Amino acid sequence: MAEEMRRNLMELMKSTDDVLGIIVTDRDGVPILKVAEEEAPELGLRPTFISTFNIATDQAGKLGMGRNSRMVCVYGRYQVVHFNHLPMVVTVIASSVANTGQLLALDSQMAPLLASLTNVVDV
Amino acid sequence: MEKPLEKCLDEIAHSTGVSGVLCADHKGLCLGVRGKASNASSGTVAALAERVAMLEPGSLDPVILLESDNSQCLIHRNSGITLAVYKSPETS
Repeated sequence: MAEEMRRNLMELMKSTDDVLGIIVTDRDGVPILKVAEEEAPELGLRPTFISTFNIATDQAGKLGMGRNSRMVCVYGRYQVVHFNHLPMVVTVIASSVANTGQLLALDSQMAPLLASLTNVVDV
Repeated sequence: MEKPLEKCLDEIAHSTGVSGVLCADHKGLCLGVRGKASNASSGTVAALAERVAMLEPGSLDPVILLESDNSQCLIHRNSGITLAVYKSPETS
């Protein structure tokens, strides 16, 4: 089943232009499921990077607009989109020229997969 | 700053036969939406416009018509901004 989920995620990654990696982790950045192209920045796949979203989303939730659900970070060569599905976090790494709207739309496409993974993460 | 855009979207949305309007920027982010159009479609609409433009490189961006049993969607990109107009069948 894990292999099937990984294949599913891989298909999703390959079907969207310029996506370099998709990682499903817990809130501490520990990977649950990961798919990445060779061109994906290695530092961006590490728990030390992914876990910073946890702090950022907590702070963003204090701005008086409710819970932070998604975050887009655009860098020079890459862009990173985080989805808050606590206790899980989904991180999508793509090229900076990728269509950000399509990356955001991946959230709904991953919903069935995330529903299956919810039981994996201890609350 | 966005008032002229909002006004333009309102005018289009109130036109005869139009059931929805969506405006997306070059990154596929939604600039405005009216009626039955969904902001979740902005990425797809922008990506479609970009792809179709590759059919004839060097030409003006084409107008795309998507037709289903009960509605039509017209998509056109100009200067990086993509507009999608959803129309109902009785006035197609």
